[in-house]
Amino acid sequence: MAPIAPIAAPLQSAPLPETIAELLGLDPNQPAVMFVLAFLAAGAIVSVLMGMTAVLGIWGKRKITAAFTDRIAVNRHGPFGLLIIPADAVRLLSKELIVPEGVDRPAWDLAPLVIASSALLGFAVIPFGNGIQIADPETGLAFVFATASIASLGLLMAGYASNNKYSFMGGLRAVAQNLAYEIPLVLTGASVVLFTGSLQMSEIVAAQNEALLTLGGVAIPSWFVFINPFAFVLFMVANLAEVGRNPFDIPEAPTEIVAGYQTEYSSVYFVLIYLGEFIHIFLGGAIVATLFLGGPSGPVLPGFVWFFAKMIAVYLFTQWARSAVPRLRIDQLIQIGWKGMLVLSFANLVLTAVIVGVIQSA
Amino acid sequence: MSLEEPEPDDGVIEAAEEVGVTTEGLDYDALAELVGDRLLDREDHVNAEGFVIRPDDVQDVLFDLRDEAGFDYLSCVTAQEYDDRYESIYHLKKYDEPTHELSVVVPSTKDDPRNQSANAVYRTADWHEREAFDLVGIEYDDHPDMRRILLPETWQGHPLSQDFSGEEPQIVTLREHANPLQEDHRGDDADTMFVNIGPHHPATHGVLHLKTVLDGEQVADVEPDIGYLHRCEEQMCQQGTYRHQIMPYPDRWDYISAGILNEWAYARAAEDLADIEVPEYAQVIRTMSAELCRIAAHLLALGTFALDVYGDFTAIFMYAVQDREVVQNILEDLTGQRLMFNYLRLGGVAWDIPEPRDEFFEKVRDMLDDMPEKLTEYHNLITSNEIFQLRCVDTGVLPPEEAKSYGATGPVARGSGIDFDLRRDDPYGYYDELDWDVVTEDGCDNYSRLLVRMQEVEQSARIIEQCVDLLEDWPEDEREIQANVPRTLRPDPDTEVYRAVEAAKGELGIYMRSDGTDKPARFKIRSPCFSNLQTLPVMSEGEYVPDMIASLGSLDIVLGEVDR
Amino acid sequence: MIGILKSMATTMKHALDGNTFTVEYPEEEPEVSPRFRGVHKFSQERCIWCRQCENVCPNNTIQIVTDDQRNGEQYNLHIGQCIYCRLCEEVCPVDAIILTQNFEWTADTKDEFALDKEQLKNVPWYKDIDPLEAREPDRGVWIGEGEGEVDYQ
Repeated sequence: MAPIAPIAAPLQSAPLPETIAELLGLDPNQPAVMFVLAFLAAGAIVSVLMGMTAVLGIWGKRKITAAFTDRIAVNRHGPFGLLIIPADAVRLLSKELIVPEGVDRPAWDLAPLVIASSALLGFAVIPFGNGIQIADPETGLAFVFATASIASLGLLMAGYASNNKYSFMGGLRAVAQNLAYEIPLVLTGASVVLFTGSLQMSEIVAAQNEALLTLGGVAIPSWFVFINPFAFVLFMVANLAEVGRNPFDIPEAPTEIVAGYQTEYSSVYFVLIYLGEFIHIFLGGAIVATLFLGGPSGPVLPGFVWFFAKMIAVYLFTQWARSAVPRLRIDQLIQIGWKGMLVLSFANLVLTAVIVGVIQSA
Repeated sequence: MSLEEPEPDDGVIEAAEEVGVTTEGLDYDALAELVGDRLLDREDHVNAEGFVIRPDDVQDVLFDLRDEAGFDYLSCVTAQEYDDRYESIYHLKKYDEPTHELSVVVPSTKDDPRNQSANAVYRTADWHEREAFDLVGIEYDDHPDMRRILLPETWQGHPLSQDFSGEEPQIVTLREHANPLQEDHRGDDADTMFVNIGPHHPATHGVLHLKTVLDGEQVADVEPDIGYLHRCEEQMCQQGTYRHQIMPYPDRWDYISAGILNEWAYARAAEDLADIEVPEYAQVIRTMSAELCRIAAHLLALGTFALDVYGDFTAIFMYAVQDREVVQNILEDLTGQRLMFNYLRLGGVAWDIPEPRDEFFEKVRDMLDDMPEKLTEYHNLITSNEIFQLRCVDTGVLPPEEAKSYGATGPVARGSGIDFDLRRDDPYGYYDELDWDVVTEDGCDNYSRLLVRMQEVEQSARIIEQCVDLLEDWPEDEREIQANVPRTLRPDPDTEVYRAVEAAKGELGIYMRSDGTDKPARFKIRSPCFSNLQTLPVMSEGEYVPDMIASLGSLDIVLGEVDR
Repeated sequence: MIGILKSMATTMKHALDGNTFTVEYPEEEPEVSPRFRGVHKFSQERCIWCRQCENVCPNNTIQIVTDDQRNGEQYNLHIGQCIYCRLCEEVCPVDAIILTQNFEWTADTKDEFALDKEQLKNVPWYKDIDPLEAREPDRGVWIGEGEGEVDYQ
């Protein structure tokens, strides 16, 4: 993890452990020191993420749903109802953990951990801006996609191990959906790599920093959403399918199979799955922000504020889709995945390759 | 009467081949000739004549009546017990002409009450006869599945028979009942999975138990198991006086704010039984309040259907409930309650329009003015959404022939192209003086049923508007809200009547028999959701689980009405 | 795709226009119509113990006990069992029982809902909506000589 030299904008700097080491005056080349500092950095980022999940998952989701349905939601506990967050946390954690008879014990217990931790693992390489990035390997993007898709394993474990027909159906549906939409997701991400020429996350962000064109004094940066909006739309749709949100929320369709793979979980496990789902949405948002929305770039405010704003914007988009879009039936979903999205993402890849070739030879 | 009435008044064109149809109505002598020497006796009920036949001749007679006299609709199977015999009454009607009614009365002996099942002729008899067996105790030969339907299978006794004491022990020991902790076992056909959907389930619109056999994601077989909300309303009504005490109960059948429609079914039947005439002003108020209830019921049906298809966080359900609140506020001003109205009385309504009248009419008019905009919003949200169309077009298909055989009525039948609406064909209230249309769609799928409901809301709004105009200009000294009905009503003994109205879900019919006292001797409720639910296996076999859930939503059942 | 976008636009419009349908109870009072059928109020002075209400009640919620001289001793009404159908008010010849709009009634156990004569007499009116104007106008017999204050004798 050697520090990389900053390329273009001051947004790129050393990964976080190195920065802390320099601040404390420690030698960044000692593995033991770096190990501890990496732990600390990871802990800091995870805490921030968990805090964000708690606010947005408990309070924010209710307020947003209420806005869409002409209601005022939580407004009694504390200012703006924010004290609902500790109240809800205590409530969820104080419930009885019911272990149904016949569950496959190690798999059933590990499934929520797998779901939650796979998303958190993906955050290790996301560049939040202002040097807040835990690690910056050269294959950062591949790492993110790989860890995010471990969650499918977790869903399958939850579904199978629960000894419940509803969970079983939910788990199978989840796996089918994740498999179908993983490939378009990765292919679309790969088309972005064609533009940047590197899988390293910080390089992808850096490549979006130059101004594309200047309109009336405002410089529009060369975010990939402006260069290739088609890929952006494809990626958003595939992302919705990966995180399991409308119109692709069939793995946990509450009106058909009660709660799908989550049916048998209560108390802490339920909290882990619930949080894990939100962190997956944030991870999806973070990937979209990095790949298409220029990462932490933005005027005036520090980088990480813009990054979080973009993540929350993607989260808002999923909530909006949830309020207005019906869910697809599983066979329609699979058809769209394998026939529609796959073809479109291949077409997008080829098109991008052609454009890049033309630009480079020109 | 709709201005688009398809048949001219002397509809002899198609009915020429049907026996007994004349320009003045039904010729019962011709029908008696058709039945021939199988006819034992002829009775006179208030709604039609009753032909008494032998228990073994049921299928022959019904086949003849269906094929040659055109009675393609078995609307109700009533079972009752007299002191000296049991009786099953099959009420026959025609989809094209519901005023042509015929009751086929089948007596059976006291010690071995049984007669032939009508299931081979009309598929709707399946569940109706199971209910008759369950509650009264008559058995039906050739029935494909003679089991109890409303009460648990281990129940002892038949509640509506005269020798039911209620003292039999009903707590069954585990030895006699199936072991709930029994291990799952594989049947011979190990490729299918048996799943219980319900009774605790977010989507089953109440406590409904669907025994589903799945082949992968496709439904191989679904069997609805009802009875979880059975309160024996029929017996409760049999213990209440006609004049006052029965009227709160119909609100509780279809409890999703269609209360006044249910009450009107009872009021219509009792008024025909006791020969009471309702003043015109009261009829207009009844029509207006009934259509308000219909709007509320359809809006909720829309909202819950959206919940089933869109998922739990959909905004459509909340919008539907909001719009329904407005209607409920108006009904609260008029009747005093938001859900259990108890507003109709025999002979009229309980209260006049609240003072000041202008304010009330203005409220109603405001609601009607907002209605087109809201409906456009619903069309934007629902019907023009491509994914919704993917989900709902061509799923849950109910062909019209099957619908007729199963006795489906209401939006379920009209969504399959059957043009049947009791408000136009068997008019009551003020409907035949107003200008409105009956909505049908030909798609036979979930989408068309939803469209029918949305368009019916528009038509109800038209009716209400016309009623409000009439009520506003009604001369003040002619505002009679109730006819002069004695405080205790004792209809003549041994009169039987079957009358139906177009409730929110379909034809809600009530059969009553009076024995000279002030309480009914038999009170049978023909509930539309009961017959509509029977079509669920037809709609969903071979389709996917999400489609079955959507079909269940589009049937719009209310368990209070299914189970009574 | 257009249909989906139209749906999403519709919900976003609802989100952004800021109208809420919520009634913030108990700070805001919900609108209750004058005819709303709530908890009953009983006047012992007016009651003639004719037992019409007891007879007409569909689920036998009213229980009247008189001694052998037909003097009224107890009048019990279980407001938890009552279905609020208003038939008792309708058949009462002397307007001794009336349904107020009061829907705010709580208790700790179900048995506390069985109200006796005293409790029924003291049931408060709901806010200041006069329930009597909504009924037949000649029931002004309820209003006594006070300043619009209901004189319950």
